[in-house]
Amino acid sequence: MAATDLLFQAGVVFAVLAVGGAVADRYGQSVIPAYIVAGIVVGPNVPQVFGYSFVLVETREFIDLLAELGIVFLLFFIGLEFNLERLAASRDRILGAGAIDVGINGTVGAAIGFALGFSALESLFLAGIVAISSSAIITKTLIDLGWIADPESETILGLLVFEDVVVAVYLAVVTAVALGGNGGGVGDVAGVDLASLDPTGGVGASIAVSLAVLLALVALAVWGTPLLERYLATDSNEQFLVRVVAAAAGVAGLALVLGVSEAVAAFFLGAAFGATDHAHRIERVITSERDLYAAVFFFAIGLETDPALVAGVLEPLAALAAITAATKLVSGYWGGRTYGLSERRSRRVAVAMVARGEFSLVIAALAARPEAGLPNGDTIAALAVGYVLVMGVLGTVLMGSSEALERRFFERRVDGG
Amino acid sequence: MTVYETDIPGVGRKFELELADGSRAVVLHHHDGRREVFRRPDPEADSEQIFDLPAEQARQLGSILTGAHFESVDATDLSVPLGDAIIEWVDVPADSPLVGETVLGANVRGETGATVVALQRGTDTFTNPGGDVLLEPDDVLVALGTRAEQRSLARLVEGATEFGGSTDGPGAAGGPTGDDAGEGSADAESGDPTDDGE
Repeated sequence: MAATDLLFQAGVVFAVLAVGGAVADRYGQSVIPAYIVAGIVVGPNVPQVFGYSFVLVETREFIDLLAELGIVFLLFFIGLEFNLERLAASRDRILGAGAIDVGINGTVGAAIGFALGFSALESLFLAGIVAISSSAIITKTLIDLGWIADPESETILGLLVFEDVVVAVYLAVVTAVALGGNGGGVGDVAGVDLASLDPTGGVGASIAVSLAVLLALVALAVWGTPLLERYLATDSNEQFLVRVVAAAAGVAGLALVLGVSEAVAAFFLGAAFGATDHAHRIERVITSERDLYAAVFFFAIGLETDPALVAGVLEPLAALAAITAATKLVSGYWGGRTYGLSERRSRRVAVAMVARGEFSLVIAALAARPEAGLPNGDTIAALAVGYVLVMGVLGTVLMGSSEALERRFFERRVDGG
Repeated sequence: MTVYETDIPGVGRKFELELADGSRAVVLHHHDGRREVFRRPDPEADSEQIFDLPAEQARQLGSILTGAHFESVDATDLSVPLGDAIIEWVDVPADSPLVGETVLGANVRGETGATVVALQRGTDTFTNPGGDVLLEPDDVLVALGTRAEQRSLARLVEGATEFGGSTDGPGAAGGPTGDDAGEGSADAESGDPTDDGE
C-alpha cells in the first residue's frame, strides 16, 4: 500500500511546491517562506476544515531523505563557491564587518534565549538562528533588484560568505555538543541503524571523531585536488553528475553515521571540489538538484511544524523579530561603513542583511532532534519557523521598498542608520 | 582602461569597465550563461540595467561589438554562393604527370572541367596560374568545380591514367563502373583537402 501510493505522494509534494513557488513569484517574494507554508498547509498538523482533513502528505521517509539531500546540497554548493583566497583578499575589511555582524546578532540572540528561560545550549541555538542571514533569499533579491551590479553587493555577499564560514564552524561544534555520544546526526534517516554499530561512545570520543573527520576533509581540500580531478575526469555529463552526487551523499552520510554534522562535511567536501578545475561544471550540473532537494527541505520543515505551536510563541516571536531586525540593520550599516561604503550604500547593506532563511532552519532542525535532548527543542523549532517566515518576507520587502524608505526617511534626516 | 573582475558567490562573475565619460559598464555573467549588462553613471549612482540576455544572444551582441560578427560563424548554416561548385585543395605529388607542366599546358580545364584558381607553393600563392607557372612537386592546386570535376582533377593530378580515369572528360558524372577501385583511392587522397576547403 505504502509502496504503491509513494509516487503519488511525491507528485502531491511537488505539485504543492509548484503552486507555492508560483504564488511567491507572483508577489515578488522568495520561495522559501512559500515552501514552508506549503508544507504546513498539507501537513499532518493542520486541523480539519469542514470535517475534511487536508492532510495530503503522510509518508515521511522519502521526504526526510530528500530533505536531507537538500541540506547536503545546500551546504555542498556553498562550499563549492567558497574561496578562501577571495575571502583573504578583502580580509581586513570583511573580517571587521563580519565580526560586527555575527558578534552583535549572535550576542543579542543568545541574550534573548536566556531571557526566554532557555538553557545555555538552547540559547546558543537561538544565537545561531538569529545571527545567520539567508544567502538564498538575499542573493536572489540582489539579482532581482539589480543591486548585484553595485558595490554594496560585494560587501553583502562578503558578509554572507563570512557567515558561511561561521556556520560551518558553529554547526561542527554545536552538533558535537548537542548530539554528544549518541552518534546520530541531524538526519535520522541513515543514522539510527548504523549509529548503533558505532563503537565510539561518550562525548569526548565523539568530538575526537568529529575532529578527525573534519581534518580529513580539510586535508582533502588542501592536498586532494589532483585526486578529485581524476575522480571527476569524464566527458559524460551523466557520469559526472552521478559521481558528484555519490561523493556528496556518500561523504555527508558517512559523517552522519560517525556523529559528525553532515552539513559541515558537505561544506568542506564542496570546498575541496571547489579547488578543482571542475568547480564551474559541478555548479552547472548540480544546481537543479540542489534547488529540488532544498525545496523539499523547506517543505519538510513545514510538515513538521505545528501551527498551534507557532501560535503559542507569537509574543516571543514578535519580540525576537523586532529586536533582531533592528540589530541586523545596525550591524549591516556599521559593517558597511567599516567596509568603506558610503552612508547610502551602507543603509542598503543594512536592509539586505535582515532576511533569514535556510541556515536558521538547518540549525533549528538540529535543535529539534530528539537525540539533542533539548527540553525546549520544539519551542525553538516553532520559533525558528515563524521567525524565518517573518524575516524572509520582511527582508525581501525591505529591500524592495528601500528606495521609498530612503526618500521618506533620509530627505529630512540627513544622517542615520 | 581598467577591467575589474569579481567572483560573485552563487551567481557567477562580474566585470566592471571604466568608460571614457566616467561611468562604468558592469557585465554580469551568470553561471547559467545569462548575461546582464548595466551602466553606472557615477560611483554613487545605482546601476541601470541595459540588457538581460540569454547566452546565445549575448555572444551575438559581443561579436557585433568586437566587429567580428559573421553570419557564417555557425558552421551548420554555412552557405557558399558557388552553386554546385566547391573549392578543393589538391596536392601535387612528386610523381604527378603534371610536374613540369603549366596548368594551361596540361589543359586542366579541358581535361577535367575544374578551374584552377590559385596555386600555393610554400608561402607563395600564384593566383589564376595559366601558362606561366611550371608545376613543382608539393604544389597545392586550389580548384573550383563540381564534385565530379574535382574527382577528375584529383585523378589527373595523381596520374591515375592506369585506371583510365583521365579520359573521363569534363563534368563526367562518374567513371565507368570498372573505375570504382581507382576512384575510391583518388577520393581518399583528396579527402582531407576537401574537408579543409569546406
